[in-house]
Amino acid sequence: MGNDVFIGKVLDRASAAIDPAEAIAAVSDPGFGGIDVFIGKVRDLNQGRAVRGITYDLFEPLVLNEFRRLAAEVEAAFGPRVKLYVAHAKGRLAVGEVAVVVAAGSPHRDEAFRACRQLIEAVKHRCPIWKQEHYEDGDSQWSEGCALCHADPAEGDAAHGHDHAH
Amino acid sequence: MKQVNLQLFGAFSELDASREIVVEVPGDRVADLRQVLRELLPQRWPRFRAGLLDYSVFADQQCVLRDHERLPEDGCVAILPPVSGG
Repeated sequence: MGNDVFIGKVLDRASAAIDPAEAIAAVSDPGFGGIDVFIGKVRDLNQGRAVRGITYDLFEPLVLNEFRRLAAEVEAAFGPRVKLYVAHAKGRLAVGEVAVVVAAGSPHRDEAFRACRQLIEAVKHRCPIWKQEHYEDGDSQWSEGCALCHADPAEGDAAHGHDHAH
Repeated sequence: MKQVNLQLFGAFSELDASREIVVEVPGDRVADLRQVLRELLPQRWPRFRAGLLDYSVFADQQCVLRDHERLPEDGCVAILPPVSGG
C-alpha cells in the first residue's frame, strides 16, 4: 500500500495534538463523495469511576507496522478506491482530549463507513497500545484489554477469554 | 543460555523504572522465555499479578512472536499484555 492512500502516525501529546482536519484532508479526493471520521476521546467515567485522564503507552515501531498491515487489509476489502488515515496519541491526555482519529474516504458512503469501522475496531483490538486510567481519587490502573489472539488468524478466537465491553 | 533484553509495556512497565529487564533464558524459543518469566515474576515481584503473563504475547519490532518461534538473534524482545488502545 503506497503512501498516497494511507497515513498512519503516533503523536506524542507533549509535543502535538491529533488534528481531525488533517485526517479529512488526507482521505479527500476529487473522486470521493464519502468520508467517514471516527474520533475517540477521553471519557470522564469508566465502570463507575470518575476519570481525570489517561496515559497511553505504545510499542511505537510495532504500532506503525500494524497500522500499515491493518490498512492493507481494509484496502483489500474496500479498495482500491479508498484512502485511509489513523493517528493515535501517546502520553498523558486529559478528559475530552482526542486519543485516536480514524478516517476513510471513498467514492460512496457505504464503503467509507464500513472501512472506517473495520479500521478502528482493528486498531483497538490488534495494536500494541495500552491505557492507564487516572481516577479522581488519585488511584491509577492499567485498563483490562484484549489479548493479542488475533495476530495469528489461524488461531481464531480460542484464546479470547473476555467480553468486549471496551 | 541466551540473554534477552525484555522491553516492558503496559502493566509490565511498572516492574522496573528503566522499562526493561535482562533475562537469562536456557533455550532459544519464545516458550523458553515465557517459562523463565513464569518462575521469575512471583519470586522477584511477589506483588505483581503474575497471571497476566498467560494473557500476554511477545514481539519484536516487526511482528508478534509465537511461543514455538525462535527468539530474535539480537535478543531484543517486547512483552505485550492485553491491549487497550483507542
